[in-house]
Amino acid sequence: GSAVKIELSCRLADKYSYMKILQVTWKRGNETIKHINKTENSWGIQLTISENRKLGSYTCTVTGEEEFSVAFHLQVPQIEGREKPVISYEGDSAILICKSHSYTPIAWTWYMTNGSEQIAINDSLMLDKYIIDRTDANVTHLKILKLTKEDDGAYWCEAAYELGKSKGKLKLKILSLMVPLKPFLAIVAEVVILVPLILLFEFYSKKKRAEDEKEFDQIEQL
Amino acid sequence: MCKGGLVCWLSMGCGSGGCPIPSSTAQSCSCRASQGAPGARSRPVAMPPHSDAGPVAGPPDGGWGWVVVFGAFISIGFAYAFPKGIAIFYKEIQDFFGTSYSEIAWVSSIMLATTYGAGPISSILVNRYGSRPVVILGGLLCGIGMVSAAFCTSIVQLYICVGFITGLGLALNLQPSVIIIGRYFLKRRPIANGLAMAGSPVMLCTLAPLNQFLFDNYGWRGSFLILGAILLHCCVAGALFRPISADKVSVKTQSIEEGKEILKEVTKDAIDMNSPTNIHTETKTEEEEERDCCEKVNKYLDFSLFKHRGFLIYLIGNVLMFLGFFAPIVFLAPYAKHIGIDEYSAAFLLSILAIVDMVARPITGIIANSKWVRPRIQYFFSFSIAFNGTCHLLCPLASGYTGLVIYSVFFGLAFGMVCAMLFETLMDLVGASRFTSAVGLVTIAECCTILLGPPIGGTLIDTFGDYKYMFIKCGAVMVLAGTFLFIMNYYNYRMLAKEEKKRKAKEEDTKPVRTENEGRNNWNKEHVQDGPELEPLREEQEGLKKEANGTNEV
Repeated sequence: GSAVKIELSCRLADKYSYMKILQVTWKRGNETIKHINKTENSWGIQLTISENRKLGSYTCTVTGEEEFSVAFHLQVPQIEGREKPVISYEGDSAILICKSHSYTPIAWTWYMTNGSEQIAINDSLMLDKYIIDRTDANVTHLKILKLTKEDDGAYWCEAAYELGKSKGKLKLKILSLMVPLKPFLAIVAEVVILVPLILLFEFYSKKKRAEDEKEFDQIEQL
Repeated sequence: MCKGGLVCWLSMGCGSGGCPIPSSTAQSCSCRASQGAPGARSRPVAMPPHSDAGPVAGPPDGGWGWVVVFGAFISIGFAYAFPKGIAIFYKEIQDFFGTSYSEIAWVSSIMLATTYGAGPISSILVNRYGSRPVVILGGLLCGIGMVSAAFCTSIVQLYICVGFITGLGLALNLQPSVIIIGRYFLKRRPIANGLAMAGSPVMLCTLAPLNQFLFDNYGWRGSFLILGAILLHCCVAGALFRPISADKVSVKTQSIEEGKEILKEVTKDAIDMNSPTNIHTETKTEEEEERDCCEKVNKYLDFSLFKHRGFLIYLIGNVLMFLGFFAPIVFLAPYAKHIGIDEYSAAFLLSILAIVDMVARPITGIIANSKWVRPRIQYFFSFSIAFNGTCHLLCPLASGYTGLVIYSVFFGLAFGMVCAMLFETLMDLVGASRFTSAVGLVTIAECCTILLGPPIGGTLIDTFGDYKYMFIKCGAVMVLAGTFLFIMNYYNYRMLAKEEKKRKAKEEDTKPVRTENEGRNNWNKEHVQDGPELEPLREEQEGLKKEANGTNEV
């Protein structure tokens, strides 16, 4: 594919301009980069990124009386997963969505975790269980039908770019219908107890007032 | 003993005012027409079925009334806060059903439209059955709506369950709660209204984190199920709404019916004495039939309110105001994000608004109840609307987060002031007995502009790409509405003062009829400082006196 030319440079802050600089090193991992373009107060390198190997963390280290270091992380766009689990119920279906914001990936792949392994999901094999929506290239939907407890766990959506792949993690939590039913019944029970209680209280206070009135009438007639 | 349907009144040993006795063997009694005159100790026979035994001097203004205010607090809180609160679930539901944002937003619109549009239905039911059964039914409907929404499989089903059924249930909650406050309070009514309306921001502040918690733990289906159970608490609120129609409502209708009975008796006697007036009786009964038919319709939903000057002023002013009332709230957070403020701070602006709103409503109620403001409460209301509009007009000048915080504080204050007095002013204009129908008619008229407001604002934002035109439009509309209400109410107060003078002049002319209505007038005078709300009663009394005068001349 097409290669990208990129220039990285690092500069020492003004308050350290007094410092005598002994050495400036650009590294990627353990590998030192030789050709450094030096301008008046900055040191830069030029890179041509054409394959995945060339991505990674590039560090610039300035050694003088003190040593300062800064790192550039060149990577494919990160895919955001979801922090909070998607909650669904047994027998229902769930949709997991991954988006790539500014860049369009070449392909999307979904993985489910089985134990410690990641298994790719092939939706053409299991048509009545998984549906992967590929209408929009920037977004992928994984629809899982007829959920069971076994579908609970972590899922990965992987976007493949020219220069590499990146993954996002999503969690799916499957609950049984009993789980929300318990608080529901508790609250309904509370209401069912309160309403007659209030009505009974009113009935008895009315009766008491009627009795008081009858006594008052009898006293008046006397 | 007594002829022509008049009843023998024993004047001793029965509390002040006397009471009717069925037997005809009493020796010292006076013949009177009234059976339940105010000030008298009521006997079960004479009173309408759903009344409290007790003194009939007017609304309690306290006691159980404060419990009713608490119930109304809950009911009104759910009615206003719930549609806003479930917006948290929309993103997830949108993803689940694969719909666009506008399709989801229809759920809220349908819910809001039903809550306001079903106002007349609510009024008719309250007129017929009283507040309590209607609120309990409303609570049940809300519960059923949300529980069935938990099992929905398409967006259209959501429209029906969440939008329509729950919206209808909330409508059956909102109106009766406001109506019953008018029945329990008179002297302290603004405070009661302010406290009850404070339910809306409190519920919103409670529902927002609660909904988030439910969503994180149970997903949207489980949350809807549990929210259905929570909405059943409206039934609890309804159970607290003890009926109290023994006071002003039935007394007024009774005194009107008494007057008509007197009229009938007097005409009957006059006709008996002059036999060749049979034709007159026939035409009289025809007119009576027509009047009865209109009365029947008006008993359920009082359309004669459209002839009421105060009601029309209120209706036009409020319909205009709602065009710019809700849009700024809907667009405050997006506007903040547009200027570059982060999501959490933008959400915090709404929290500030809600907190200031919460405090402003009861305080406005207290201010509106003070003896300087109460007689001129309409001016105070118009002022708060214009103040609200001015806030919006100044909003585009606010720069940065601090400016928006100041705007939120003032907006919350103005919003609370307007909402606290929204129903109080209507009660003040039409009186508690006609308020039931008035509130239904007003809400269905407001329904249209409420629904139009945010979309018009949204179109302005999309067309110009700038939020400031939306704020200017809302501000201008509200300042216009406030000014209109101010001027028209000034006119209304003057006309009422003139009519008061005319009535007083007439009273001095019609002294013989006056002795019959002595009890009633004494009671009226006790409440004369409560302003124009007793107008309907006085107008009807005037009408009766005119008819009585007419027959006397015959």
